[in-house]
Parts: sequence; structure tokens; C-alpha cells
Amino acid sequence: MSMAISVQDIGKQYWRAPRAAHQNSLRDALSEGVRGLLSRRSEARPARESFWALRDVSFGIKHGENVGIIGLNGAGKSTLLKLLSRIAAPTTGRIRLEGRVGALLEVGTGFHRELTGRENIFLYGSILGMGRQEIADKFDAIVAFSEIGDFIDTPVKRYSSGMYVRLAFSVAAHLEPDILLLDEVLAVGDYAFQRKCMDFAHRLQASGATILIVSHNMFSVKTMCKRVIYIKNGTVAYDGPVDAGLKIYEQDSYLSHPSWYRPEQSSQDFRITGVEIVDAAGEGKTVFSHGERMRIRMRYAADLPIHDANVSCSFTRADETHCCTFSTLLDAAPVPVITGTGTIELLTPPLRLTADDYRVSISVRRKGFDTIADAKIGARFHVQHPDLDPYIFGIFHEEGHWTFGR
Amino acid sequence: MMKSLDALALGPSECGLTEQRGDPSTLRVTEIAPDDRIIAFDAVGLWQYRGLLRVLILRDLKVLYRQTALGACWAIAQPLFTVLIFTVIFGHFAKIPTDGAPYALFAGSAVVLWTYFAEAVRRSANGLVAEAELIRKIYFPRLVIPLATVISPMVDFAIALAVMLALMVWYGVVPDWHLVLAVPTLIVTAMLALGVSLWLGPINVRFRDVKHTLPFLIQIWMYASPIVYASSIVPASVRWLYALNPMVGLIEAFRFAVLGGTPPDAFAITVSVTAAFVLLVSGLIFFQRMERSFADVI
Repeated sequence: MSMAISVQDIGKQYWRAPRAAHQNSLRDALSEGVRGLLSRRSEARPARESFWALRDVSFGIKHGENVGIIGLNGAGKSTLLKLLSRIAAPTTGRIRLEGRVGALLEVGTGFHRELTGRENIFLYGSILGMGRQEIADKFDAIVAFSEIGDFIDTPVKRYSSGMYVRLAFSVAAHLEPDILLLDEVLAVGDYAFQRKCMDFAHRLQASGATILIVSHNMFSVKTMCKRVIYIKNGTVAYDGPVDAGLKIYEQDSYLSHPSWYRPEQSSQDFRITGVEIVDAAGEGKTVFSHGERMRIRMRYAADLPIHDANVSCSFTRADETHCCTFSTLLDAAPVPVITGTGTIELLTPPLRLTADDYRVSISVRRKGFDTIADAKIGARFHVQHPDLDPYIFGIFHEEGHWTFGR
Repeated sequence: MMKSLDALALGPSECGLTEQRGDPSTLRVTEIAPDDRIIAFDAVGLWQYRGLLRVLILRDLKVLYRQTALGACWAIAQPLFTVLIFTVIFGHFAKIPTDGAPYALFAGSAVVLWTYFAEAVRRSANGLVAEAELIRKIYFPRLVIPLATVISPMVDFAIALAVMLALMVWYGVVPDWHLVLAVPTLIVTAMLALGVSLWLGPINVRFRDVKHTLPFLIQIWMYASPIVYASSIVPASVRWLYALNPMVGLIEAFRFAVLGGTPPDAFAITVSVTAAFVLLVSGLIFFQRMERSFADVI
């Protein structure tokens, strides 16, 4: 059987800073060129520093297969998607795609703020590669799917961000590609619309389309794909069934930095060296019942003492929804000077989260400056409950008191 | 609760996915590989995206004067006031010779074509950078952008030309059959503008200096072209050098088409047409060499 996507030894090389940062004006390029002419020797010029965002990546995806691409930040997932969608050209290797390709790296790029919803449907549709007649035929379906209604003739700059994204996704969703390349776009809009998008993707899947999803979102990868490709440092670290792949990924992401973390914000004189989850009695475990208490133990190493630190611990659901944060600052917990090595333990109240997968992340901030000393993704845990489906019950559930009047 | 969830479920007709996919052997195949050919012009790919070209042109037209009180009047106002100022300063104060034509018509005919050229170059040299978001996130033949921005100012050109013709009626000058020459002149001007933009656009992606140089360059180019004066005032000994500016022949030809009078210099016309072809072809080669790295550097 022929492959929908075949990727052979592709690599992508980028030129790193000095060149990119300092040579962005013509004057620098000219003076560089003159210097090069005068000195004629290659060592006179600073060596151009290059790095490979992707290297020797090969895989094949069959028609109708759905594959998740996972990896930590900067591993090369987005680069891979850019190469597959022809936005950027590979430095080495070959890619062969069979069928109409629809690539959604970001929903709504190409929308023009001054134009109405109606005009933008035609604009965005054409940008995505749909013909005029095709857009006209699907116009009513697009409007209905987006739930925009009467606002269709209002300039999109007057739209709420939710409406904007819904309209953009609706256009994209009607592209009907043979191969769909998706980058995190399912994580847009409100929960109801997200669900609608998922339903749509399932339907596309059922119709035999080949789907490639790049995501941090283990939840969508798990529900959509049987196979994952795990990209690590620009190469394929794992390619196979989803469960085993996610396990390796989770092991690797333990003690990695969260996506919002910027290393230049901090010096390296404070490090979180471990995060573990145990139950109230101190037994290590990863599956908790709804209503159970949990202890989160963090180990640290501080080269310089931190006074008045603000330690916080957050729970993030598998679909990247930030659920709650415990904070020493908000809880007015007395924090001693943090120095040397030691542990910090948080005992949570009974967990009221609905049944799903969650991730713990820890951050330590210096009070006053409010700079981040360190932030790490910690362990993952699962909350069990027979009925508390997050689709129906949302993020948390607590008992209410009901009264019936007549 | 359950009812509201049911309402979210979609019928197949609602999302337009009713049929199963066709036989894989009939599908369109896309091959991607590093490309080091000197000349590779993907006309088929460009043709597939002709709808996008159309939509981008329409978008430029719709957006340009939206939320302005005077709307498309701006297309008239700008050249009209330019001609007015030129007429007062160069026509009345400096009394520049015009080979007999009323100064307003003399300058106006040149301003109409020049404004088109300057707008086309300005918009399309900056076009790639203005669409940086698109280039970073979506694939389409990048050539669509300079093409759209060279075509869209033609509408302003048409409006300005209509005003010009009205102005001629006011002065009692009636254009003759030479007016048809305006069409090939406009086409060669558009080719020249596209050729210039195909060079400047990719350079602008890499070096934003172009953005700062361009207004200055356009202004100098304007004074180096016979717009406020006739090329007959240029000393005969350097006339050949002067005619190396490809806009000289085009403006003379356009003025001849609209107002009649002295036919344009054959050498100047040859230079214009040659320059337009050379810049266009070399620009296309340069552009397709550069476009593969746009998303990486923009």
C-alpha cells in the first residue's frame, strides 16, 4: 500500500545568532562582505554557527492513519510540521505527500481585521487553497458551524476572540483535506467548541483522512491516535503505539521546564531537584481517588539563600487546562530562608478534581523582585471516579445542598 | 445537561463530509526536496492559486479606503493635489516649457502613470514583510503577493486616468486614437514595477533597510523622470544617459498617448522595454531562489 506521507532522511539546518542577530542590516552585510574580500581568509570571518533543528528524520504514514507528534519545547516538532506543509524548505532529504494537504499551524492567520466575517471566509478559504466555487458551496455550512449568526457581516475586528477563532476554525474545518496537519489548534475556543472540533476531527478520521497532530496535549493525542512519533533533540526517539510512547515522553518531561519558563530570567543558583507525589500516609502512588488528600514533596538545592520565597504548585489537566494553584503567598504560609538542600512538602486538601490525568508543576519565585528562581514540571497523577467525567462535570466537583420548593 | 451535549453533536451534512475518500492512486502527489536548480518556475502551482491572487487584490482594494470618510476619493485627491502644486510652482512660478500643452495636463498625464508605478513598487516591495504572518504559517506560492500588489493599484490608476480625461475636456483638449497606446505603456510599466519589486521584496525580507531607502529612492527617481519638466530641457549631450532611466521612455510614451505632440524617443522606448524584460526575468529567478528561505528569515 502506498504511503500518504513518506519522509526520508530529512534535516533542517538553521544559522544561529551572531549572523542572524547582527547582520540584519545591509550595512553589516556590506562591511562583512568587504572584510571578507580584503582578508580572503576564512578564519578572518567569525565561523557561522549552525544547528540542526531536525536531523535524519524518516517515517512513513499510511493513508487513513492518525499519528501524534510529541516532544518537549524546541525538540523540532513545529519545524517538522513546517517542512511537511511546505512553509519552509528542508536542508536535506525528501518528503512525498499523496493527496490534498491541509495545514493548520495557527488558526486565523490571514484574517484581515477590517474585513467582515463573510469577506474573511473567502479570503481565508483562498489562502488555505480552496477554490471560489468550493467556498461558495460550503459557505452556509461554515457559518452554521461557527455559530457566528448575524455577525457575519460585521468586521472581524469587532469580534470577541472566541468568535474570531470559531469562524477561522470553521473555514479550516471545511477544507476537507486528504492529509490534515494540525498544530495545537484543537486547544482553542471554549470547551463546547473544542468538543465540536474534536468531533469534527473524528469525523474526518472516519472518512479516511490522514491526520498528523503536533501537540503537547496528551489527551488529544491519546483520543485521536494509535501511533505517536516522539521527537527528541531533532531526531525520532520513538515511533510506535501511543501508550508506550507517552510513557517515555512523560519520563523525559519529568523535571523539564514548563513552556512559559525563560532561562534568562534566572541565575542557576537555585534548582528544583525532584518532585514526588505520595498519599497522605506517605506511600508513593500516581492514581488517587476523588476526595483523597495528596502530599507533594519537592527537593531543592540552593547555592545562595532565598529570603521570603514564594513557592507555588499548580495542577494542569492533560488538555493543558490550568486547574488550580497552591501558593505560600496566598495561603500566608510562613516561609523560612531557603538555603542549602532540603525539601518542601505540600499537603493538599481532599482533591475535588474530576476524573482525568493531571500534571504537577512547581515554581519558586523571589519575593520583592518576583523573579523566577526555578520552575519545573513534576510528576503526573490520575484522579479516579466512576462518574465524574470532565466532559460533563467540568474541572472540579463538590457536593451541593439541594432544596425543592413548590 | 445531556440534551445540551446532544445538541453539539454534528450531523454529517453540517460539516460537509459525506463521501468516502477516493482511490489513493488518483491523488495529487507533492514532492518536497532541497532545490538547487538555478531556474525553477512553478507555473502550475501558481495557476492553482489564482483564486488567492484574485482575493488578495480584492482585499487590498476593500481595505485601502475602509473606515476613511472620503473613501475612494483619496485615489483622486492625491494625484489631483500633486498636479495642482506642480502647476502652481513649476507651471506658473518657474514657467517650465511644456512643448505647448497646458501645464496641468502636461504634468497630470505623467503623474497618473508615475503614481501607479510608485504605488506598485512601494506596496509590493513591502508586501512580503507586511504578510510575514502568512508566510510563517501558511504555504502558498509567494509570488502571489508581489503580483497582487502590482495589480491592485491599477484600479487607482484607472480612476486617476478618468479624472485626467475629464480635466482634458475642461481644457478643451480631446485625446485621439493615440490613447490606445496607454495600454501597452501601462503593461510595460507594470512589468517594470514587478521586476523592481521582485528584487527589492526578497532583499527587504532579509534587510529591512529597503523599507527606509524606498521613499527616498522613489523621490529621486521621480525627479530623474520627465514629470514636472519635459525631457527636451535635458542637454542633448547627456540625453542618452538620461534615457537609461527606463521610466523616461514610459512617461514620454504615456504623455504622447494621452496628449499627442512629439512622439517618444525610440532609444528611450527600447531602453524601457529591455529594462522591463531583463528586470522581470532576472527578478523571477532571484525571487524563486530566495522564496524558500522566506519563512526562516522573515
